[in-house]
Amino acid sequence: MKLRPFRLTLLGLTCLIPAALGAVLLFLALFSWPAIRFNGIGFLLSETWSLGNLYADPVKQGGMLVPIGASYGILVFLVGTLATSAIALLIAVPVSLGVAMFLAEGVSPRLRGGLALIVEMLAVVPSVVYGLWGVTVLVPLVAHVLAPALSDAIGFIPFFRVTSGSGFGLFAAALVLTLMVVPIITTTVLDALTRVPREAKEAAYALGTTRFEMVRKAMLPMVRPSIVGAVILGLGRALGETMAVLMVSGGALNYLPGTINSPVSTMASFIVSQLDSAEQDPTGMAVRSLAEIALVLFIITVVVNVIARLMVRGVGKPARV
Amino acid sequence: MLSLAGWSACAVAFVLVALPVFDILFLVISRGLAAFSPALFTQVTNGTSGGLANAISGTLILSAGALLFGVPVGVGGGIYLAEFGNGRFGAIVRFVADVLTGIPSIVLGYFAYITLITGLGWHFSVLAGSVTLAIIIIPYMARLTELVLRQVPQSLREAAYALGAPERKVILRVVFPIGWPGILTSILLALAISVGETAPLIYTAGWSNYMWHGKLIGEPIGYLTYVIWSFINQPAASAHALAFAAGFLVIVTVLAINIAARLVLRRTGGGQ
Amino acid sequence: MRERSGATLLSRAKRLGLIGGLTGGLMSLAAAGLLASAAPARAASVTLIETGSTLLYPLFNLWVPDYTKANPSVRITTQGTGSGTGIAQAISGVAQIGASDAYMSNPQIKQNPNILNVPLAISAQSINYNIPGLNKDHLKLSGPVLAGIYSGKIKMWDDAAIAALNSGVKLPHHQIIPVHRTDGSGDTFIFSQYLSFSTPSWAKTVAYGTTISWPAVPGGLGAIGNPGMVQSAQQNPYSIAYIGVSFHADIAKAGLGTAMIKNRAGKFLLPSHATVSAAADGLVKKTPKDERISLVFSAGANAYPIINYEYAIISRKQANAANAAALKKFLLWCIDPANGNAPKYLTTVRFVALPAPIVALSKTQIDMIK
Repeated sequence: MKLRPFRLTLLGLTCLIPAALGAVLLFLALFSWPAIRFNGIGFLLSETWSLGNLYADPVKQGGMLVPIGASYGILVFLVGTLATSAIALLIAVPVSLGVAMFLAEGVSPRLRGGLALIVEMLAVVPSVVYGLWGVTVLVPLVAHVLAPALSDAIGFIPFFRVTSGSGFGLFAAALVLTLMVVPIITTTVLDALTRVPREAKEAAYALGTTRFEMVRKAMLPMVRPSIVGAVILGLGRALGETMAVLMVSGGALNYLPGTINSPVSTMASFIVSQLDSAEQDPTGMAVRSLAEIALVLFIITVVVNVIARLMVRGVGKPARV
Repeated sequence: MLSLAGWSACAVAFVLVALPVFDILFLVISRGLAAFSPALFTQVTNGTSGGLANAISGTLILSAGALLFGVPVGVGGGIYLAEFGNGRFGAIVRFVADVLTGIPSIVLGYFAYITLITGLGWHFSVLAGSVTLAIIIIPYMARLTELVLRQVPQSLREAAYALGAPERKVILRVVFPIGWPGILTSILLALAISVGETAPLIYTAGWSNYMWHGKLIGEPIGYLTYVIWSFINQPAASAHALAFAAGFLVIVTVLAINIAARLVLRRTGGGQ
Repeated sequence: MRERSGATLLSRAKRLGLIGGLTGGLMSLAAAGLLASAAPARAASVTLIETGSTLLYPLFNLWVPDYTKANPSVRITTQGTGSGTGIAQAISGVAQIGASDAYMSNPQIKQNPNILNVPLAISAQSINYNIPGLNKDHLKLSGPVLAGIYSGKIKMWDDAAIAALNSGVKLPHHQIIPVHRTDGSGDTFIFSQYLSFSTPSWAKTVAYGTTISWPAVPGGLGAIGNPGMVQSAQQNPYSIAYIGVSFHADIAKAGLGTAMIKNRAGKFLLPSHATVSAAADGLVKKTPKDERISLVFSAGANAYPIINYEYAIISRKQANAANAAALKKFLLWCIDPANGNAPKYLTTVRFVALPAPIVALSKTQIDMIK
């Protein structure tokens, strides 16, 4: 067998890709292992995140040196992450489907390109610019208009009864995530809808449906795998979002959100805001617990992305990023 | 009538989505232009006032570094997957690339902070920032490159092989000339991602009020997204102005790159 | 497949033109950047990085331009990232000057014996609130009351405990929104020290630190940096926040109220040059050689209770002699009553100059930098 230097060079470069992932996973696992042992399952279930008394001498607990009173629990951040993503998807899915339907069948093909471009602009805006807009425009809007309106409309549900609060919180974070997720779902579904064969559409018309009914009852079911895959991809994006959420979420600690306007913290935003505090811990347990959060986040996003990719299968066609 | 209600709802959905787009662009462009001046490009940041010269050059340098490390691996990986990646190994790499696109950038930034900045002792550095950005953009380039090259008809390759051409020539002389618009698009998109990243750079590139001295490790560097993230929280009006100016520059750059990428695809009839 | 060869050639030419233009544009920008950076590189020899306390940040931004103008061979980058970052990056060597309102803890000193805590000035912290109608008055608050607010035991502004201190003031019946710092903060350190020293229950449950496990108060907000605290308080009616005095101008612009805080002697005081100096002078004799001491809740009839030394966290061993020399020169300039500690800098940020004995102690520590 000839030594093919060109192919080998390419192979070498390609191997760096799994090597990078492996390095990150290995590092996170090894670095956080002492924290995993110290925290146990309470890590995922406890509402209290306390770095302990960093100005007193560390004590030995569970065989490891930790600050006195240290107790690492991420339930608040898990809930924050899942709640912001769930509400974002709840809003984004119907909106995206509506937009996709509108663009696929509701406008003439000439307009479609330009209007679709507007939606794709949402995907182009960097996260930190979303944060900038969020702090300047969205948060006051939520505080003065959206949250009170929601409270007036469905305030009989305690979760939506909002009496006070700045705009920084669950609602604002979810809205920002919605805007980031919409282009992902819309472009994928739109793409799938435009590929629906003409015969299928004509068959529906032959049965006497209106255009809207045709789209809803004939086309959408045909593209359901794409929809599901796109939704899960959007979920993956929402779970990992950091900067925009950090700027509008309000930074909650040690309590779960009580209303839709409550401040929250997500795992990703918490890592950013806690890193320098964690470095004050001379025992190093705090930094390792942060790495454990990163590991949990890593595992969750991997699982979600795997499910998404399996569903948006298509020959060499990953969902549009 | 149900149809009318249905289409109205869809139209409303579209408007709900389009409004924020215009609002974001309007906000950043109007406030950014208000803060615009030639001084932005000539002066460096002085505390919370001054110009953005250091941040602008820093963003360009970090993006260039990211492409320097990222393009060989990303495009090379994509070529390998397209030409030779039909077996188990190719499937694994493809899977890993997809997973890498989904990892939150803060996880990569944290990884780089502990291993490169403090572990290897590089401290805030251009090298660490570039390497981290490269890890982020590589999987996008690899997948897009593979996608594009797979659309080159297999018959062309077979004809070239039948003529006795070696692999290198087939790829470089037959496949590449047809597929390069898509590859260029993937590189442009990777560039757009690099320009807009923040979280990983906070922990790898740090921040500097000065222009880069050329040291690869041990010297931090400024970049535009830091200004957006950090200066909007400062009370001084000059800081806010700089934040919006930086936001304006970033969004204009990212938009220009995306439009260029689209033009490349449209003119050449390539892409999906 | 498109096969119109003429059009293909034309479009290929347009393509090449577009690509060429783009690449050329990008490269020329990069080249311009590199050229611009290369030129000054030959002139400057030492770059120092300062990062940390947002309370000290405004003062550094006043010092650095004047100092670097007089000493063009030194370049100093400043960042307002929080005392926690300042300490962490000074220890790891990523930054040369870690600015911090908090001194390092005993375990930290034990682990890092080569790190110096050098006071550069004396600062204070104000407790600010945003109550519609009451922001011009000065509400009276005490340590135990603040501890009650930040632990959720005191929920409403018209609570009996607050009313007892403010007879005659019509307090609104509204939920209090306590704002705290989420980043590693020296302001949190001195605020929580005040709560710990004045309220035994707080000392037992929460204690003090640059980062503490804030008790769960529904609606409580986290803010990043002193500027974030000002913004949060401004945007949230009925909120209360602890903010460094160097932000007094922004506090005034935001229209926030400043509370009178109860000191150890039982008097209610506002932070002012007189009250802060009174508190500092009392502790000058007690300051140890390593200068790590809390100035919070000190004795003295006119002593404002929430004051602190502003520290530069410096490593005794610098990377090279040039860095060490530049660092020493800068720090000595900062503590010099004729330069950095002169009123022209300190009054803008409402800080107090270091008393002479402390300047001497700081000088001794600075001399240890190699």
